[in-house]
Amino acid sequence: MLPGLPAIYVLGALLSWCWPRRAWASGRGATLLAFALVGALAVAAIGGAEAARHDPLGVLVALLVAGMGWGITRFSQRYLQGEIGQPRYVRHLQLTLAAVSAIVTTGHLAVIAVAWVIGSLAMHQLLTFYPQRAAARITAHKKFLSSRLADACMLVALTLVWHTSGDLSVSGLAHWCAQRVPQGPLPWSLQAAAVLIVLAVVLKSAQLPVHGWLIQVMEAPTPVSALLHAGVVNIGAVVIMRVAPLVMAVPAARWTLALFGMSTAVGAGLVMMTRISIKVRLAWSTCAQMGFMLTECALGWFDLALLHLVAHSLYKAYAFLSAGEAVQAAQLRALASRALRLPPVALWARALLAPMAAGLVLWACERLWQRVAPGIDLPPSALLIAALGLSPLLWTRWLAGLLRVGLLCQLYWLGHLGAAAVTAGTLSVVSAPEAAMAWWVAGGFLLLYGLQTVLVAYPQGAWSQRLYPLAYAGFHLDEWFTRLTFRLWPARMPRRAVLGGGGAMVQLGAAPAARTVAAQGASL
Amino acid sequence: MIAAGLAPHEPVAGPSARHLSTDELRQAIDSACDSVAPTWPLDRLVAVNPYWGRTSHDFVDVARAMAREAGSPLFMPPAYFAQAWSRGEITPGDLDQAACESRHGLDAASAPTSHELVQALDRMRVHCPQGPALPLLSDALDARRDLRHEPAWDDVLTHQISQFCASHFDTDQADWRPVVKEAGAGTVLGSGLYARWRDSLAHDRGVAWLMHAPHIAARAGRLPPSANQLLEEAVRLMQLPVGQAGLWMRVVLLRIKGWASWCAYRRWQARLDGRDDADLIDLLAIRAAWECLLDDGDRGPGSVWTAWRGEWDRGAQRAPHPALEVLSVWQRAQELAYRRALLAALQGAASGAKASQDAAAAAAPTPRAQAVFCIDVRSEVFRRALEAAAPDVQTLGFAGFFGLALRHQPLGVEDAEAARSLAPALMSPALVSTDSTGHATEDGGLALRRRRRLATSAPWSAFQRLPASGFTLVESVGGIYLGKLLGRSGVLGRWTEAGPPQAPGLSAAEARRLRPAMMPGAGVPADAQRVHQALGILRAMGLTQNFARLVLVAGHAAHSANNPQLAALQCGACGGHGGDVNARALALLLNDAAVRLGLAGQGLHIPSHTHFIAGVHNTTTDEVSLFDTDLLPPGHAADVQALRADLESAGRQARAWRAPRLGLPHLGDQPRALERALHERARDWAQTRAEWGLANNAAFIVAPRRRTRGAALDGRAFLHEYDAHADADGAVLAQILAGPLVVGHWINMQYYASTVDPQGFGSGNKLLHNVVGGRIGVFEGNGGDLRIGLAWQSVHDGERWMHAPLRLSVLIDAPRERIERVLAADATVRGLVERRWLHLLRFVDGDAAAVGLEAWQHGQWRTASPSADGRA
Repeated sequence: MLPGLPAIYVLGALLSWCWPRRAWASGRGATLLAFALVGALAVAAIGGAEAARHDPLGVLVALLVAGMGWGITRFSQRYLQGEIGQPRYVRHLQLTLAAVSAIVTTGHLAVIAVAWVIGSLAMHQLLTFYPQRAAARITAHKKFLSSRLADACMLVALTLVWHTSGDLSVSGLAHWCAQRVPQGPLPWSLQAAAVLIVLAVVLKSAQLPVHGWLIQVMEAPTPVSALLHAGVVNIGAVVIMRVAPLVMAVPAARWTLALFGMSTAVGAGLVMMTRISIKVRLAWSTCAQMGFMLTECALGWFDLALLHLVAHSLYKAYAFLSAGEAVQAAQLRALASRALRLPPVALWARALLAPMAAGLVLWACERLWQRVAPGIDLPPSALLIAALGLSPLLWTRWLAGLLRVGLLCQLYWLGHLGAAAVTAGTLSVVSAPEAAMAWWVAGGFLLLYGLQTVLVAYPQGAWSQRLYPLAYAGFHLDEWFTRLTFRLWPARMPRRAVLGGGGAMVQLGAAPAARTVAAQGASL
Repeated sequence: MIAAGLAPHEPVAGPSARHLSTDELRQAIDSACDSVAPTWPLDRLVAVNPYWGRTSHDFVDVARAMAREAGSPLFMPPAYFAQAWSRGEITPGDLDQAACESRHGLDAASAPTSHELVQALDRMRVHCPQGPALPLLSDALDARRDLRHEPAWDDVLTHQISQFCASHFDTDQADWRPVVKEAGAGTVLGSGLYARWRDSLAHDRGVAWLMHAPHIAARAGRLPPSANQLLEEAVRLMQLPVGQAGLWMRVVLLRIKGWASWCAYRRWQARLDGRDDADLIDLLAIRAAWECLLDDGDRGPGSVWTAWRGEWDRGAQRAPHPALEVLSVWQRAQELAYRRALLAALQGAASGAKASQDAAAAAAPTPRAQAVFCIDVRSEVFRRALEAAAPDVQTLGFAGFFGLALRHQPLGVEDAEAARSLAPALMSPALVSTDSTGHATEDGGLALRRRRRLATSAPWSAFQRLPASGFTLVESVGGIYLGKLLGRSGVLGRWTEAGPPQAPGLSAAEARRLRPAMMPGAGVPADAQRVHQALGILRAMGLTQNFARLVLVAGHAAHSANNPQLAALQCGACGGHGGDVNARALALLLNDAAVRLGLAGQGLHIPSHTHFIAGVHNTTTDEVSLFDTDLLPPGHAADVQALRADLESAGRQARAWRAPRLGLPHLGDQPRALERALHERARDWAQTRAEWGLANNAAFIVAPRRRTRGAALDGRAFLHEYDAHADADGAVLAQILAGPLVVGHWINMQYYASTVDPQGFGSGNKLLHNVVGGRIGVFEGNGGDLRIGLAWQSVHDGERWMHAPLRLSVLIDAPRERIERVLAADATVRGLVERRWLHLLRFVDGDAAAVGLEAWQHGQWRTASPSADGRA
């Protein structure tokens, strides 16, 4: 039933192409139909229908994408009122959704590769919805380049897989790996394929240092950002899960993924703290979250990665769509105390004690939940990371903090339980633990926790101030990529407006032609 | 020193290379900095005339200057006027009259005829109606670069300055900030905006890498240490012709006008408090420093500098584009066309309604109720509807802060930053108010609870914002956002409607128990002062006799979700906030027994049966809600009941009037459905045009309501109550012109500028808005300069402009001499009139019932009735 999903979106795109005047109706109709279809399937799967159960991962992510697609289409219809080119918008939105839903539901690697290309091209059209904006062109072009690089990686990887195993279906690959892995290291061709797939995912998930395009896509309407951050950029994790049997068997691939993911989670997290505009802050946050999710994949914690994928999508879609409320949020923060006003010594003491307390609560809750679901179990390093995350709740208030931590733990375990139910059977089999990597990752998080405590305790200290320019510049990682882009394969730029005279010739009834703005790179 | 670093070649000797004297430099800097108007932060976004710093020049001269200095138009493009002409909105008579006015002091017979003007417009539609703007050295450099293979310097340096300013001024968004030393601690070297920028650029490798310009950082380190020295050096380095330093600096500052406006705001606020702020000069120095950094020092024939200077000299000597003159006449003609329609509406209402009104007034000497609204153009629609629904209700117009310039400190919040200034931007609030239940102990308890609740949000905010917590945050609470998404998209119905809490940290019930109260302590109005205040307000309002049993004081507030520029829809007189606090404070003041007693002592008797009640007019849904009804004397319940019914039926009419403008014409005759639709609009997070705000404003009428009652003014007029008979010395009129009129003019020019130059003086597309620094302003997209003004969605509905950019027509009902006296004493308003930033007219009673107008032009009153021939 699921293979029909992309077809619905394609139909929606076709209808909006044939009847541009009724574009929104076809868009809304198609997305609603798709959502209802996946919803029915999900209900059937929970109800125990065997036909719906063989790919719970696909059903869950397809449900997420369909829901997101429906909501964003509804939002866009009102948001884009009065814009020129609305049918074009609907069309490319439908095509993007078609491609994404194809990636998450298919069982064939070649389909994944092709749909990934199509999705990227359709997204490109959405990102350049305002073609007169030079910044939009440059950003989309940067994305275009990293995506094509990723496509090349995928192409070579799939060729190698085909050449070696003779089968490009997900189940075929899993089967082949299951038989071959116990006999020792995989042949070099498959090892190379695994690393290449990981590199493609890194490129498509906007990991440092090829993150620039994700940060700078604020040049397209807000719902496009929401779709990109909530439903497109995280697809890399799904691909990793599809080829998990292969990737898990290749240490080089896992370490590559962990290395990129971990440095992005820490680096982008720090940069995020310095951002001065709401949307760019959200983009850096996505970057860090993707890094964390890929790290979880590398560690074989697929249940957590899946939980992260779904939860982050919902969280980030909401955050983007409501980005206009930043002013109220700022007012609210101004009413409350602006910062944690604790003397540094007290803060340090609490910063040391809090993770232990939070860890204890987490562990206790785990034991409780194990009575309901005996299989539930997380490695200690995962608990450490979660405990570090919960700690700031305990920095200033113990009692209220512990209550909150307790409540959040329940939510955390509940989510974990749900995700584990989905990954059970397929992914749990291949998630070979890698203790050394796990502790190395936990070390990275300790470092991040320590750094953020320094920044909170001594905001004006020498360290904070010395590191600041570097973090504010995004560690200068994007400049070289932009520079290279301009050198090697420049974007097709709109004709540069007469300086300062951009507004002189605004056409009646037309959206204002934008003055060329904002160079890329620098310190976004 | 610097010359060694920046300009290895000796400057060409010549008359233009001489040093500027300190005075000349100071003058040039001042001329640039004073030309920038402030922009207010998003949470108090009041309208401002973005050309305010230039109003000491004639309007058309400013149009020429803006074209030359920034390529920014002050008139709509020719096609716009051509459409108005072909639709018949502008008549040949209007054109003739406009042409005649434009030739004042010259030979009137040489004025172009309407036929010539139409031909001129037709020719212009083929050509670009504007010459190029003056270039800077960076433009000349960019012109030589391959912009397909390299980023443009202009974009890169705008981005660099903008990002730097954002990090410098941000106090709300980032969690990790550079240390900014408090200004005002003396001019410590290295603490100002310029010094910090210089320091940061000297250590920044980003631009160097991106632009392949490794020398930038080293050069930045060698820049002069202070802004003044830099500017002196820059003028010398550019070898500007004598007397053009000021012009060059204005051009430089216009390139970064968003942040310049922000710095001008800081300067404005500092000056209101009797201080000063040098950030604007620093910003000018920063942009000028970039010109120096990009100068390679080469002055040879093929050099960038030579190319730039050639362009500059040509531009500076070029005569203004003739198209500007033609467009200015068309602009004036359109304003005259509006004046014609306005007069017709006033006359129609006067002749039609006079008889019935007089009869009604004779029958019922005191109205059943009186309702005082803000002068806001949106009130006009509602007042008209209210009067139609209840002819025995009298309405009045008064500036929406109701004469109480409050600085409101919410209960339980000590942070001075959180205080709201509920007063026009022109003044620094004199009174301090807070919320109170009326009992000190109860207040204390509430304050404590609120502080405690707000304090618990601090660790949660840390959990939400710190990077190491983000991952756990998502994995634990991410699922909850599914509910939020569904709720906000309206799928779950109305029960999820989540507005921001009106009073954070207080429950709705607790918030309801609070009323505004003047803060005890220093500067508190003692009873005598309160009486004095009340007296002044009532007199200015023209409400000194004939009090009805119920007097409604209605402020206004807008509701629009997910809208960073919401404050622009609120009451400008209340500093971009809702008008509820001021309205309640005034009602409480005037109901106070001690105040009433004092007023009686001063000869102003408010009958004991008169009760003042506060309300707020929701401009998005046209509903009026009433406050403090629990304080109502027992006998007034029926009056309030009746008033409520009138307000409801007025709301229905007003909504029906607004429906077609909001794209809901089909709901015009379905009141219930329309009301629902407007409620939905107000809380719809995807709605970019919840209401039209003050779009299409065009007139400011200072007159008793009987002059305008019954006239359909289409929500285009500010209405201020004024009774010339009760103001023999002209003090009230002077007040109105100095305060509300200037605010009205600011609003008018804000809409004007956002329409004629949406790129330069509008904030662009809402779909791309990206809030900067929590409240500072918005970027359009990733970055670029800070954007000022109104969004495109605020003045355009996708098919047509919803605002017609017309300068304000000010109609005053007062004797000639009094208006002249007030003008003579008020240089600001006189300047606005004389330099054609607004048009001044007065009512004249003709024979019979005919109302006429006469216009104040070049120091004379001239009749402005439509019957008068334009060429007469």
